[in-house]
Amino acid sequence: MKDLHTITTTVNGKTYTREAESRMLLSDFIRHELGLTGTHVGCEYGVCGACTILYDGHPTRSCLTLAVQANNHTIETVEGLTTDPNKLHPLQQSFQDAHGLQCGYCTPGILMTMKAFLAENPNPSETEVREALSGNLCRCTGYQHIVDAILRMKDEG
Amino acid sequence: MQQPSLLGQSITRIDARAKVTGQAHYPGDLTMPGMAHAKVLFARRPHARVRHIDISAALALPGVLGIFTGADVPNNEYGLVLFDAPVMVSELENGNLAAGNAQNLKLFDGIVRHIGEKMAIIVAETEKIAEHARSLIKINYEDLPAITDIHEAIKPDAPQLHPHYPGNVIQRYRVRRGDVEAAFAQADVIIEDTYWMGAQEHAYLQPEAGLAYIDETGRLTIQVAGQWTHEDQAQIAHALKLPLDQVRVIYPAIGGAFGGREDMSVQIVLCLAAQRLNRPVKIIWTREESMIGHHKRHPFWVHAKLGATKDGKLVAAKINGMSDAGPYNYTSNKVLGNFTGTCVGPYDIPNVAIDSAAVVTNNIPSGAFRGFGAPQGLFVAETQINKMAVALGIDPVELRRRNCWHDGTITPFNTPVPPGCSLNEVISACAENKKLEGAAPNASFSILNSKFAKGTGFACGHKNIGFSFGYPENSACTVELHGNSEIEQAIVSLAGADCGQGAHTAFLQIASEALSLPREKIELQLSDTSTSGSSGSASASRLTYMTAGAIVGAAKAALAKWQDEERPVKMHHVYRPRPTTQIHPQTGEGDPNITYAYIAQSAEVEVDIATGQVHVHNLVCADDVGRAVNPQQIVGQIEGAVSQGLGYAMLENFVTEGGYVKTAHFSTYLIPSVLDMPDRVQSIIIEHPDPTGTLGIRGMAELPLMIVAPAIVAAIHNATGVWVNELPVTPDRLRQALKKQH
Repeated sequence: MKDLHTITTTVNGKTYTREAESRMLLSDFIRHELGLTGTHVGCEYGVCGACTILYDGHPTRSCLTLAVQANNHTIETVEGLTTDPNKLHPLQQSFQDAHGLQCGYCTPGILMTMKAFLAENPNPSETEVREALSGNLCRCTGYQHIVDAILRMKDEG
Repeated sequence: MQQPSLLGQSITRIDARAKVTGQAHYPGDLTMPGMAHAKVLFARRPHARVRHIDISAALALPGVLGIFTGADVPNNEYGLVLFDAPVMVSELENGNLAAGNAQNLKLFDGIVRHIGEKMAIIVAETEKIAEHARSLIKINYEDLPAITDIHEAIKPDAPQLHPHYPGNVIQRYRVRRGDVEAAFAQADVIIEDTYWMGAQEHAYLQPEAGLAYIDETGRLTIQVAGQWTHEDQAQIAHALKLPLDQVRVIYPAIGGAFGGREDMSVQIVLCLAAQRLNRPVKIIWTREESMIGHHKRHPFWVHAKLGATKDGKLVAAKINGMSDAGPYNYTSNKVLGNFTGTCVGPYDIPNVAIDSAAVVTNNIPSGAFRGFGAPQGLFVAETQINKMAVALGIDPVELRRRNCWHDGTITPFNTPVPPGCSLNEVISACAENKKLEGAAPNASFSILNSKFAKGTGFACGHKNIGFSFGYPENSACTVELHGNSEIEQAIVSLAGADCGQGAHTAFLQIASEALSLPREKIELQLSDTSTSGSSGSASASRLTYMTAGAIVGAAKAALAKWQDEERPVKMHHVYRPRPTTQIHPQTGEGDPNITYAYIAQSAEVEVDIATGQVHVHNLVCADDVGRAVNPQQIVGQIEGAVSQGLGYAMLENFVTEGGYVKTAHFSTYLIPSVLDMPDRVQSIIIEHPDPTGTLGIRGMAELPLMIVAPAIVAAIHNATGVWVNELPVTPDRLRQALKKQH
């Protein structure tokens, strides 16, 4: 017996209908079924934050979420931050300019976490930024340039 | 017309846009039509004889395309230093014992020597089927006693773990300069202690992954994350008995490396599977597989003795150090060399005796990790001199100034420090940035009625640049120039790996300088064995230094032809720095290192006395980079290296028990989050040009990691009066030490 569910979900503004097994993870669904490989998997169980996406606007670990949970919900991934190839989202621009990344594997998860955070708190202190970033691991940068990139957004209004 | 060079500018890294938009492809993101999926079966036992491998049930599972074991590997051996490890452990009777021209070390003996040994690669239509099939493989093992303690391993009656390493020792170094015993007898103060440093996991965020296939020209090709395309190519070709040009290695985006991708992980087994099935095969390791599947930083046990006169002249140093290499030589000989060259510090000490050994055990192999033996050597050297400063009542910065290397100082290898030594300048730049409060613990401080204690600590160090000890260092580059009256396009081809450190952006900047061309006229062809010669490894603080030589050399040759009106021009250049030598086995005399870079750090910490938690408020790092190719990226390297050094110092406790790993996940092996970081890392870039290389450039990205631990340990002592001699200084360890002292 095939254990398949039909899922209709809106990802980056586009609606998809796909079949998925009960136990398929949302991270695998996004990466393998939709081919959106900007969502990275670093630890498979919610520690590193690389797979963070926005689920109805809330930052969510896609490796701890089942694909079926996306049914009738809205997902946003790093590929949805900008649709204009000539213009980056201000967060992307700021990370690029402030050298807020090195290997870049953690970057999409951090961008999605910060998008939600800045939507709620557009004028954060450095302490608040560090607190908001504390659920995302980065092995390359030592975080300082990431914090700078986020604070630079505030300065540029 | 002369164009402004990009050298020295903080230009945006060339892959930033792809990485912030999610368009950068890491090996696990790649797909191909008809692609199959693979899983590796690990031994998961530290020491055992393989009696029988039965793949029949697994092979019968629908959807399984193939299962390959050691018996399928034409030359079942691999290794970065020598071929001393099996690609997969096979049963004795089926092993490729008669593998003909294999330079085999009689390793086809069916012995599992650590838990991460590969036993089989399983290929199926889906990853899920491959996993299921893996669980159906039946292996009959006879477990053997595991030797996981280096002191046990060197006992005369210890079981011999590897036929090539009698006495369970891979390498020994012996250094003798002057007469240490006579000098200790004359010394006013002697510091003697024993140190232990645990293993460290690289914890790059992208677990091992790759895609292997036959390319359009019929070549076996792999896209994988590594550190040295051409070495991967050579090892794959050797194991699979293929001509070098029938193997192609391409690096797409790499999710961090730090030394952890220098040895083979998925490369050979994945290529074997793709070749045998003639289908694209992809593999992605889980985090847990990554943790047990690649090597770690060497644990070290060290006994150290340092003598000085009361006016602060270091007179003698004696070291007995042993590393835990695991069962194979994953560059353990070279790491030991770097330890030996750093363990008495960058100081003028007339009498030195060093004995060091890399010891074989049944732990996971130890190998390259940013710093490559220097973090261990310098933790000992710098903690010893910090203790000496306290004992002498001399400021630790002043004590270093009185003893530190200058140009021409005789090193423990009995040869002079190469020209360009800037250590004194680096120490001053760091020390003057922040007034330190002295080495002695605060006299009025009483630990019993304090909740928090603050302190400062200082450390400095040196790192050799490049592969040392006689290795014939080289780096290749090809430059093509197109145009008519002026150069319209330059194609610069080289292989050097960008593991995230920004190497490719640095290459562009150096090419811009060498060719006097703007960015838009330079096209880079990168990280593909089919388009360029070897750059050597992205390691050993060597890549920018060596590659600068290659790019500048190729550019000069190409521009000379261009001046002669040749159109188009294509010139190849192999850069070779000055040769080095092995060191003498009895005296240690030799000229093992091309040149050095120098670093100094100070740390301000606050210790929570009740919990043993340490917070680093401020860390100042002065790093002599010779010439700053890209200041913004250099600061990024310093901050990132400091975070790994801080993890090594306080947080990253890689726990094993009887060869089994107890911390194989990020929930148990903790790497620093942003809240574990110093409030501020202050980077001071010093540009004291290195006269030995090209454009004055020195390697820099390993250095800021190396001395974080001794600076923090000195600061903890400054705060509490307690020395901790074991890394990492976990809250538990510090609490125990505080209890003992008070």
